[in-house]
Amino acid sequence: MHTVIRELVKNAKSHAFDGFEVNWEEQNRTVSCTHSLQYPEAQERNLHVTSVSWNCTGSVIACAFGRMDDGDWSTEKSYVCTWNLHRQGLNPKRPDAVIDVATAVMSVSFHPSRPSLIAGGLYSGEVVVWDTGRVQDPVLAKTGMSPDTHRDPVCQVHWVPGGRRGEFLVLSAGSGGRVLLWTVHEQSELVLSAGYGLLRQQLPHKTMLTKPRGGSSVGIASLALSPWDSDTFLVGTEGGLVLKCSFSAQAPAATTPDGESVTLRAPAKFCFSPHCGPVYALHCSPFHRNLFLSVGTDGFAHLHSLLQLEPLVSLQVCDSYVFGVRWSPTRPLLFAAATGEGSVHIFDLGGMSLRPVATIEQKSGDRPVYCLEFNPRQTHLLAMGNADGTVNIWHLSTELTEQGPKEVAQLEHLASEVTE
Amino acid sequence: MQSDLIAEVEETLKRIQSQKGVQGIIIINAEGIPIKSTLDNSSTVQYAGLLHQLVMKTRSTVRDLDPQNDLTFLRVRSKKNEIMIAPDKDYFLIVIQNPSD
Repeated sequence: MHTVIRELVKNAKSHAFDGFEVNWEEQNRTVSCTHSLQYPEAQERNLHVTSVSWNCTGSVIACAFGRMDDGDWSTEKSYVCTWNLHRQGLNPKRPDAVIDVATAVMSVSFHPSRPSLIAGGLYSGEVVVWDTGRVQDPVLAKTGMSPDTHRDPVCQVHWVPGGRRGEFLVLSAGSGGRVLLWTVHEQSELVLSAGYGLLRQQLPHKTMLTKPRGGSSVGIASLALSPWDSDTFLVGTEGGLVLKCSFSAQAPAATTPDGESVTLRAPAKFCFSPHCGPVYALHCSPFHRNLFLSVGTDGFAHLHSLLQLEPLVSLQVCDSYVFGVRWSPTRPLLFAAATGEGSVHIFDLGGMSLRPVATIEQKSGDRPVYCLEFNPRQTHLLAMGNADGTVNIWHLSTELTEQGPKEVAQLEHLASEVTE
Repeated sequence: MQSDLIAEVEETLKRIQSQKGVQGIIIINAEGIPIKSTLDNSSTVQYAGLLHQLVMKTRSTVRDLDPQNDLTFLRVRSKKNEIMIAPDKDYFLIVIQNPSD
């Protein structure tokens, strides 16, 4: 025991290891583009990449084609393409799998444990689950033509854990203000298991909103799940609101029933300080249960704590729209934001300035970057989807991916700066 | 007698805990079962299981190199902290310290 105490004291005073660094991995000082994936047929038709998703093993990247600008594209057919980056003889212009879809696809998400299942949300309001392992017809299940389906474009799909172990349901959010939870009945359909409707008059906010034109439903632009609390989800709206919602909310939504098979509930519990313009992306921190980021067309990124109204940090990403934001899976203080100017800016909250520590310019000039995702297994890879129809995979430098020894503590400190 | 021993153990743990940068203390028995800890349950179980194996492997390495030798102290220094393990016939004392805290 005495030895231990002696050693502890010596350790605390010792300078023996000052500045001592060990490199186990090859240090990578540069950020480089490892793959530039394209589907020529989609590019010929000027389709945009609306969403990208990595599968659970980190070897396959899927992208959805559609459009992000205005207009009625409901009759334009589209594609979902996948590339296996680990395959020999990968041809970046020839996806391993191409799924033909009748309308534009706005969001795709790979299943958390089954590497070949992809959920997709369509412009038509349908939600589909595809199985890329099926040779004949890749459609595993989809929402039928029923009063349960979204009547407006689906903006996001996510997989959420269900009641039983290993069971996952599909969550879809639509610009008509509905958030719907679907169980997957294989070989047939997606059955509505629970539904939530957001309406202006049921939002918990103190600010006076201008009288809405048209209906009272709230257009959803983005949705994020909390990896810490399975009951919480965040919604970003077309009007700039950021809402904290609860899956277990009981109050019924004030929608007129229209033959839906479940009663829609009003999920919003708290309204954060809004953005000026649609909130296109939200992401919860994988390192702190109270922190999340929100970005929108006002060009700003807000770091919020779930515990307070005002953002903890508000930084200007660019002079244009911000379409996507993702926390780094390995560095607690780092996040990447995709801009309408065609670049992805990487910010370090531990740094001295509010300027990006790195900027990745897409080769497509200034066509917007609409989506980005970190590879869940090979965390130094970042995929980005552009308006010119390309998906670029970037290999980040070691400095941007290796966690510093005090980062978790610094993030904790940032999160605790919550004012009453 | 027994209560004297327990009191002595408690006293020593307090002294260790008060040293600069100590993040946790775990005492495991010769089989690797934790008998006292200042960390939460799941961390304790994880540390105990992994470090017990490490100590046994390290000890057999030392003795294989020289059968007349034996392990006296094991220190694992990592980017974020240092783990010190003091072995004994009946138990192992594990202390996790971040010296720069």
